[in-house]
Amino acid sequence: MAPPKGGYAPSLGKFLDTLKSRPVNASVESLISLLKRRQINGSEACAIATAHILLQVVAKDKWSDVNELLGRIQLVGKKLVASQPRELVIANIVRRVLGLIRDEASEDRNDNPSDSSPDHRDPMNSPLPPAASEASSPTRPVRPPGALAQLGSFARTQSMFNLLSDPDFTSPPWSNASTPGATPGIASGASTPLAHGQTTDVHAFRSEVIDGIEEIMDEIKQVDEQVQAISEIIIHPGDYILVHQPSRTVQKFLTRAASKRKFTVFLVVDPSTTSAADDAYAPFRKSMASSGSIVVTVMNVGLMAYMSKANKVILGARAITAKGGVIVDAGAAAIARAARAQGRAVVILGGVYKISSENKFQQEELIEWGDPSKYVNFADGAMVSQVKVKSAVSEFIPGGDIDTYITNLGAHTRDHLHTILTDHYKEEDMSFDIYGKGQR
Amino acid sequence: SKGPVPAVITEPKVTIPECFSHLPMAKRIPITQADKDVHPTVLALGQQMATFAIDESIIRLKATLLAFKKVIESYNTPPGNTLARHLTPHVLNPQIDYLTACRPMCFSMGNAIRWLKLQVSKIDPDVPDQEAKKELCVSIDNFIQERISVADLVIAEKATDMIKDGDTILVFGRSNIVERALLHAHCDAGKKFAVTIVDDPYERKGQVLAKKLAAEGIKVTYSGDFGGLRWHAQRATKVLLGAESMFHNGAMYGKSGSCDLAIAAKELGLYIIVLCETINITERVATDSLTYNEIDPERSSAASFRLLYDTTPSAYLSVVVTELGSVQPTSVPDLLRKLEESN
Repeated sequence: MAPPKGGYAPSLGKFLDTLKSRPVNASVESLISLLKRRQINGSEACAIATAHILLQVVAKDKWSDVNELLGRIQLVGKKLVASQPRELVIANIVRRVLGLIRDEASEDRNDNPSDSSPDHRDPMNSPLPPAASEASSPTRPVRPPGALAQLGSFARTQSMFNLLSDPDFTSPPWSNASTPGATPGIASGASTPLAHGQTTDVHAFRSEVIDGIEEIMDEIKQVDEQVQAISEIIIHPGDYILVHQPSRTVQKFLTRAASKRKFTVFLVVDPSTTSAADDAYAPFRKSMASSGSIVVTVMNVGLMAYMSKANKVILGARAITAKGGVIVDAGAAAIARAARAQGRAVVILGGVYKISSENKFQQEELIEWGDPSKYVNFADGAMVSQVKVKSAVSEFIPGGDIDTYITNLGAHTRDHLHTILTDHYKEEDMSFDIYGKGQR
Repeated sequence: SKGPVPAVITEPKVTIPECFSHLPMAKRIPITQADKDVHPTVLALGQQMATFAIDESIIRLKATLLAFKKVIESYNTPPGNTLARHLTPHVLNPQIDYLTACRPMCFSMGNAIRWLKLQVSKIDPDVPDQEAKKELCVSIDNFIQERISVADLVIAEKATDMIKDGDTILVFGRSNIVERALLHAHCDAGKKFAVTIVDDPYERKGQVLAKKLAAEGIKVTYSGDFGGLRWHAQRATKVLLGAESMFHNGAMYGKSGSCDLAIAAKELGLYIIVLCETINITERVATDSLTYNEIDPERSSAASFRLLYDTTPSAYLSVVVTELGSVQPTSVPDLLRKLEESN
């Protein structure tokens, strides 16, 4: 049998394929281990995976009211965040979905407060929205009714969760399955009185939330295109643009500008993949060359030497914090520092979904350390046994080193980021301590 | 070393981007194409320089002077000429031209060759050939002794004085003088300190240093690239950099990446110590890294490009340690004047 396309290693695509055929909890556990093993890697992939899994939770899980759903999303969100705490987009997507649910809930309450459906707890009877229905009933194991049995396989997980969680922390509402809706939402702020969320039409509500999550997914997918539109304003004819391990967003940004004008790109590659790097950027280099722009692959780690020549530095963000700091691939912080020392503009590209309300991390905590064998061979006994080898995967650029942020909503300054945050997240979700309990 | 050396010495087709076309690059010149007057020792040295087997400024200088000693020893003034007037244009210059063609000369070599030519021109025409040659060789030996061997020793001692117990020293890659200073501080002075090595991933010479230091019992942390540079700098107390050269305006010419490291360290208020023999100091001035630099021939092809050096402005350096004293970077010209006065 021929190996499947792309090999056997799990990836985002394979994970998404399995979603429909698996029970929600199995998918959640599978995603957690994929995140932990960094087999789903990169902020965009993590964001999409998170959105998909939350969609599954909304579509397939049993919940009877808004509070229960919020609690469920918060719990899954916490687990996901704990499995890859440095990928801030996971928490962002969770917050977005929470906000979405709150919005829909308050709308429903205003529209139609009396309509309730008694059979909402049975997925077999409830017509699922199109996105989830095709895969739902036939393949899904049907659990016998009853409170205990309903808890099913994740009852243990739940008790473990209680053991590990803060005693002051209210247990998730669904753990008390016999009294659905009786438990108040974990983080329901005073601004959203959701106590009578039960009175909404669950089916309609479910499909509205699902539509909302799909909109978030579309937003993530459209980021590259929308960011591109600003490229001509940023890049001028004859410029020297320095980029560090450009993501697809950055590459598209440059190619769009190249279609209009000629400039030079200093492309800084990952030093550990010096031979393979040529392949990774080959299509990009080709498309730049075809429009007459020049790409110079720079094989230096210290980029100060180029700063007198470079006009601008363009970096792709893994995540953007509320105060304007940016998480980037390791090595980019030195570039941003050099650019500031030389007075060159540093432009950050990234979708709005990458802007995180997270603020309590210190710079050093946001460094993710990775595989030390990147540069030091494990066979090199003298190094392995005596020397402490550190190899960073991602690091933090303080907001002071950055001039402009470009998202799918346009160009922003550091001071403006907060406005975007309040537009996209609910106050109660921002303050909701998504890290506190998961990260030990 | 600089990666595998191709078996056939043919220059690969290199296209240097227009904006860097003013910078020089080392070339592998087949021995058969060299000038017929090039001495065999110099021929070999040129190949070693072109392949970066001999790389660091001070080591290249020493090798060059020793090779020139051989050239002078095998020289006989043709009848009707005087050594003072014949040796330089007809014998030394072809050697120098060849070496420069193999790899752009470093500042220390330029300084030393100027000195050597001066010594040759000072030879009295009446002095017999043998005696004159012996005199030249002795002054070359003295020069190596004074300006390189003793200088390194003095610098290592001065750097040791600056290292305190409990320090964590941040270094970049491997520099001969830095290695010497660290080993001297640990082995001879018994200082207790740790070392963090941030390496250039394309050269990875820091691993050689890491092993040497670890073997002596120094606690070593190694990072293969600039990822988490600030994190490493935060845990360091001092920075030790080896300079390839010092410019007249106090800027340091060092291995590419030195400047980035210095900026990160300066931001955290670390004390940045530059180690440099006075022979490396040049009267030239550089305000950016593209005025004087060299292109890496091994890694520069149609698809890629690499600079070997960068220039660190004096603002990012704290002190320059030389064998004539430790001065502020901007006082480097004073050292040159001091040298002139003593000569």
